[in-house]
Amino acid sequence: MASQYSREVAHRVFAQEFRDSDLSFKDSNDQYSPQYLLTPTGAKINRMFIVGTLTEKEDIGTDAEYWRARVVDPTGAFIIYAGQYQPEAARAIAEVEAPAYIAIVGKPSTFQTEDGNVLTSVRPESVHVVDEATRERWVAETAQRTIERMNNLNSNDPDATKAREHYNTDVSVYKQMLIDALKEQP
Amino acid sequence: MIKETAKHIEERFSQVGITIPTSEIESRLEKLVNEFKVPAEEAHRSVVNYFLKEYNIPRGDFFTQQGEAPTVKVSDITTEGKWINISAKVAQLWDNSHESIDQVGLIGDETGIIKFNKWAKAELPPLEEGKSYQFKNVVTDRFQERFQINFNRTSQIEEIQEDIEVSAQQSEAPTVKVSDITTEGKWINISAKVAQLWDNSHESIDQVGLIGDETGIIKFNKWAKAELPPLEEGKSYQFKNVVTDSYQERFQINFNKTSLIEEIQEDIEIGTQEVEFSGVMVDIQAGSGLIKRCPECNRALIKGVCGEHGKVEGTYDLRIKAVIDDGVSVQDALVNREVTEQLTSITLDDAKQMATKELDQEVVLVKIKEGLLGRYYSIKGPKLDRYILVENVSRLPPMEAGQLDALLAELEA
Repeated sequence: MASQYSREVAHRVFAQEFRDSDLSFKDSNDQYSPQYLLTPTGAKINRMFIVGTLTEKEDIGTDAEYWRARVVDPTGAFIIYAGQYQPEAARAIAEVEAPAYIAIVGKPSTFQTEDGNVLTSVRPESVHVVDEATRERWVAETAQRTIERMNNLNSNDPDATKAREHYNTDVSVYKQMLIDALKEQP
Repeated sequence: MIKETAKHIEERFSQVGITIPTSEIESRLEKLVNEFKVPAEEAHRSVVNYFLKEYNIPRGDFFTQQGEAPTVKVSDITTEGKWINISAKVAQLWDNSHESIDQVGLIGDETGIIKFNKWAKAELPPLEEGKSYQFKNVVTDRFQERFQINFNRTSQIEEIQEDIEVSAQQSEAPTVKVSDITTEGKWINISAKVAQLWDNSHESIDQVGLIGDETGIIKFNKWAKAELPPLEEGKSYQFKNVVTDSYQERFQINFNKTSLIEEIQEDIEIGTQEVEFSGVMVDIQAGSGLIKRCPECNRALIKGVCGEHGKVEGTYDLRIKAVIDDGVSVQDALVNREVTEQLTSITLDDAKQMATKELDQEVVLVKIKEGLLGRYYSIKGPKLDRYILVENVSRLPPMEAGQLDALLAELEA
C-alpha cells in the first residue's frame, strides 16, 4: 500500500520577505519530518518556486563543484547553493551564462551566523532557463499570493498566528514592497 | 435530574435486595456532574459501578436480573443500546475478523435480517447455520450506520425446535450515484461500470480498480473473503449492500461478504467531470518521456519488465507524468502521446531517433524537462483519481489583462 504522502506545495515569496524569515521548525520530532521556514506573512515553506534574474554565479567548491548563485527579483536577491547532491540543478547553473532569467524549484535552507543572524538560501531541485513572460507572470502571481497571505494574517489560521507572534509583522512594509515590485513592471 | 437518576439507581439496587441511602447516591452523582463536569450518562454508569463494587455484586447478576427484556422482531430494532430477547435463525456465519469475536454473521426472522456479534468473552455455545435459537438478554448496537445485535456474557442462547422463516429482505440500502458518495461508512446500492481493474497489491484483496457511472469514477476494493463473482472490465453491474470508505483522503467502495453483485444488461456510460488547472510545471516524474509498454496489457514496463507478464518485448510510447503547482495546491497530470507530441514538438519517431542516436532513452526525458519545467500552463481534461488526464494544454500569457492594475488597486486601497 502506498504511504500517506502528499507533495509539498511550492510557495511563492519575494526575496525581501524570504530574507526577513528566520523561523524554521519541524512539525514533529521524527527525523524524516519535513523542515519548514515560516515567513513574516505566514507562508510555511518546505518547497518554493522562484523566477528571477541570475546575476552572478561562482563555483566555490574546493574538490567537487559547488555553485553559489544570486537570483534577483524586484525586491532583492535569493542566494542559491547547488552541489553534488543537486546534480541536475548544479549542471544547469554551470551551463547558463549570467544574466539570464531562470526558474527554480527548491527547498529553503537557513544558516545561523556567530552573531545570531539567520541567513536564508535555497537548495534547488531544478533550475531552468525561462523567458521574460514567465518572469512577469511569476511577479504578478507572487504579489497575488502575498496579498492573500497578508489578508489572512489576522485570522486564527495556525501559520498566520505563529507568523504574527514571531515577527510582529508590519504589513505596511510588505504592502510597499509589493507596490514597488508591481510598478517596476512594464 | 440528579434526583431522578438517584431514585432510579436506588430502585435498581433495592431489586437485588440492597438498600442505599438516596442522599449517598445523590452526593456521588452531584460531585461527578457538577464538580467534575462528567456527562449525566457517564455519571450514572460510574455511580452504579461504584456501588456494585462496594456491595460486591457481580455485574452479570445485577444486569440480568433487571426485569425481563422485551421480546422483539428484527424489524423492531431501531435504537442502539437496548436489551432485548429475540428468536431468530442463523442465516450466515462469517469468518470472524478479530480474536475478540467468537462468531459473527447474520440472523433473521420473518421481518428481516440483522448482523450479530458473539463476543469470545461471552463464552456462549456455538451457533450453527440454518438452526433457530432464542436469544435472551442481547444488546442492540450500531456499527457503520447499521443496527446489529451483540451477544455478551449476560446473554443466553437456547436452540429451539421451531424453524423460523427468514425474510430475504435486509433493510434496503439507498441507491446512489458515484457523485453522491461524500461520507464513509454508508451502506449503499449502486449501478456502475467497471472502468479499470488494477493489479491487486494484497492477498486479502480479490479485485481492485475503478467503477464509474455518469456522475464520476470511484475506486473499489473487492475483499477476497467476500467470495463474490469476478468482475470484468467494461461490464456493468448492480452492486448491492456495499460500503463507502475513505482511504488516503479519497472515497472508495468496499465489497464485502454481505454484498451482492449482479451483471446488468444496461451499458452504463461513464461520465467524468472536466477539470481545469493552471500553474507552474514544477516536476516531471520518473516513467515520463519515451517509455515501453507491455503489448499484452498496455502497462508501462519498468526496466523492460511488465508487472503482470514479466519480461516482454515492449512497444514504444511517449507520455508525461507532470506535477502542476499554483502556489496553493498541487495537481498531478498525465499527458498522453498525442498531447505530448503537440506540447513538446517531439514526435514519437523523433524520440525514437534521439534515443537510438544517443543509445539512451533518458535523453528524451531530459529534453522534455528542459522545454517544460518552470513554465506556466493551463491544463484541462477529465479527472481520474488524483490525475487530470490532459486533453488540452496551453502556455499561460505573461499576465492576465488588468491583473497588475487590480493588484495595485487592492494594495493602494
